[in-house]
Amino acid sequence: MHTQTLNAFQVIADPSRRYMMQLLSKESMTINALAENFDMSRPAVSKHVKIMYNAGFISITDIGRERHCTLKQDGFNELQDFINYFDKFWAGKLKKLETLLNNKAKSK
Amino acid sequence: MKNIITHTIRYEHSPEAVWDYLTKSELLAQWLMPNDFQPIAGYEFNFKVNPMPAYDFDGIVYCKVLEIEPFKKLTYSWKGGPEKGKINLDTIVEWTLTPKDGGTELLLEHRGFKDVNLSIFSIMDAGWLKNMKEVATLLNTQNAGK
Repeated sequence: MHTQTLNAFQVIADPSRRYMMQLLSKESMTINALAENFDMSRPAVSKHVKIMYNAGFISITDIGRERHCTLKQDGFNELQDFINYFDKFWAGKLKKLETLLNNKAKSK
Repeated sequence: MKNIITHTIRYEHSPEAVWDYLTKSELLAQWLMPNDFQPIAGYEFNFKVNPMPAYDFDGIVYCKVLEIEPFKKLTYSWKGGPEKGKINLDTIVEWTLTPKDGGTELLLEHRGFKDVNLSIFSIMDAGWLKNMKEVATLLNTQNAGK
C-alpha cells in the first residue's frame, strides 16, 4: 500500500492523528490498542500510523505479532525547524532594512 | 516550542522613514521581496521569490492588507503553498511602529503557524521525552531477549 509522505505540518493538521499523538504521549501502544479509540477501520488506523512514521513522529517496534508505536522527537523538530527558518528569515530582512535606512540617511 | 515569531528592532530613523520602506513597493522590494503592494486596506498583493520545494512552497506569497494605520500599524495576511489554490501556510504579519528616543522601534509579529493545539507542544518537554526513550529501550530489550 503506497502511503504518501507528508510534511510535518500536514501530518499534525489531521485531528485523528493529533489525538493518536496525545494517546501515544502517555504510553507506547500497539496499533490494535490505538484503533480501539477510533471508529475508523483498522486499515485506516494503519494508514495514519504509516503517515506519522514516514514524517518521523513515531517509531514502530515489532514484538511478537504486535506493532508497538512510540512517539518520538524528529517530526516535532521539523515543525520547530520551519518556524526557526522564518525566524532567521525575518532577522536577516530587518537587518537589511537597517542598512538601507542608514545608507539613505548618509546619501542626503 | 512557540508558534509565533517576534522581532523588535530599533532604527535611528523616524517612523515616517521606516513606514516608507514598509509601504512603498519599490522600497519594500529592496529589503524584503519583489511585490505589488499598495497601502490600501483590503488590497490583495503578492511577494515573489524562488520556490522552495523542501518547504512545499512555490515561491509566491499571497497577501491581503488587513489593517493600516499610517506610520503606526500595518497588518497583512501571509499565505503560501506548493501551488496556486493549495495553501498550507496561513499566517499573519503585523508591523507596529513606536517612536522612541528620536528613532523608531519596529515590532514584527508573525503568527498563525498552523492552528495546532498547543498542548501537543507542551507534550514535548524534555522530561516526557526521556520517559518515552526509556519505554523504547525497555521494548527493545524485551524484543532482543526473545
